[in-house]
Amino acid sequence: MHQIRYFLAVGETLNLTKAAERCNVAQPSLTRAIKALESELGGELLRRERSLSHLTELGQRMLPMLRQCYETALTAKTVAASIKTGEIAPLTVAVSRAVALSPFAATLRELSRALPGLQLKLSRGTSGEVAEGLKAGSVEMAVAGPLAEAWSRLDAFPLFEEPFDLVVSEAHRLAARSTIEFKDLTSETLLLNTECEMAGQLSARLAANGILDTSAHQAPTQEDLLTLVKANVGVAIIPAGVEMRGLRRIRLSELNLTRMVSAYVVAGRRRSIACAALLNMLRSADWSYIAAPERERRAG
Amino acid sequence: MGEPELGAILEDLFIRCRGLDAPLADRLQAFADGLRRLRPDFGAAVDEMVGRLAESNAGSGAPKVGEPMPGFLLPDESGRVVRLDDLLRDGPVAIAFNRGHWCPYCRINIDALARAEEAIAAERRHIAAVVPDRRRFAMWLKSEAKAPFPVLTDMDNGYAMSLGLAIFVGEEMKRMMVRSGWDPSVSQGTDNWLLPVPATFVVGADGVIRARFVEPDYRLRMAIEDLLAALRSAR
Repeated sequence: MHQIRYFLAVGETLNLTKAAERCNVAQPSLTRAIKALESELGGELLRRERSLSHLTELGQRMLPMLRQCYETALTAKTVAASIKTGEIAPLTVAVSRAVALSPFAATLRELSRALPGLQLKLSRGTSGEVAEGLKAGSVEMAVAGPLAEAWSRLDAFPLFEEPFDLVVSEAHRLAARSTIEFKDLTSETLLLNTECEMAGQLSARLAANGILDTSAHQAPTQEDLLTLVKANVGVAIIPAGVEMRGLRRIRLSELNLTRMVSAYVVAGRRRSIACAALLNMLRSADWSYIAAPERERRAG
Repeated sequence: MGEPELGAILEDLFIRCRGLDAPLADRLQAFADGLRRLRPDFGAAVDEMVGRLAESNAGSGAPKVGEPMPGFLLPDESGRVVRLDDLLRDGPVAIAFNRGHWCPYCRINIDALARAEEAIAAERRHIAAVVPDRRRFAMWLKSEAKAPFPVLTDMDNGYAMSLGLAIFVGEEMKRMMVRSGWDPSVSQGTDNWLLPVPATFVVGADGVIRARFVEPDYRLRMAIEDLLAALRSAR
């Protein structure tokens, strides 16, 4: 672990002397440790030019990965040191309004069983608000589709890729179909989730296939949208991870649109035990029941 | 994916070696010998990697006999969160770090541990395996061996790394492994090509390590007799 810590310090300071000072070691030990890491990784990480050191292409490629490994290991050490049953474990999680909570319910139940002191503070917001919360530090972890926010400290852990399908009420005329095409939709009233991260892409895809959504009804949350679909106000095209009671899911064969749902944390920020545990549970979980079938075959 | 033929040939070899009526060490050796016969270049790459790991003292910083085993909080193959303290409440436990569901040596090792568990469960002694594979693959490994013990997921090898047990695979070995169909990036859900040094810790109910086997040569594992003896004498 210390080899990685030394390399991360060099990556930040680009100066061996300063990096050694920061890590509280003599420079020769730091150089030795980095040489050992280089031989383990099978390539040079640093190029020295006078007092400055530059990261090689391999070094640059490895830096974010090594930082992530280091942080995970650091958190494991914290867990080992301070794990006590019943200790208060606050956790603020923001979930994008366009993402259904139901796929995560079982994981949250298990987390609260494992950490009886868990104090979960769940918030909902647009993907922009979710990203803001992470940046400001008011949110420790977020679950959302692709975030527009390009911030280098945002660590994204992909969880599952959901295919977009047509969803209709059980009473709808198309309810018995398993597959439909765009032409079946021309006379339908569409319902759109205006705050879905994928709304723009979906509109473009629809327009390209002769379906204009200018007359569509709009709802700001997945839940509201589904309530309207159940009442047969219209039909919606949404990602797969939702509770389907009272609804029918129909594959829209020409659509080919998916959304990656990821867990987000901020790099370099100390993770609480609850946050680390939830992140590991979400990442290790089996989401294959949601994932698109073609993706599953590749992974299998 | 790897060369389909090579993958299938190695799978045949694995099945033969797993089925041998012989001690664990001999079954592991039979696979290593078979691999060297089939693919001398692969055998040489393994030797080179193991030599490099030995030179850099990989795993030497891991907790030692007489020291406390650092605690953990890891999900098992069913998604249940398991902590070391929970396991120790039921008596001494052996924690076995394995590389993954794709690794034939680990599959042979888990198979041997599964058979051993029957002999020790009655004496309030237990086993838990730790792999960097995600739940679905941990489940696969457990089912294949019909293992009664939990197979825990250590995402990103975080716990292993905190114990000084994580190593980088390196470019040449990576190429060999991919060709054999042994690609841990799918099961680990990350392509950092980090693996644990296989290790077994026998931990007493007080959380203190009573015996350990840490070996960067991943073709070698703690002998089942040694594991059983250490578990039986642990309190």
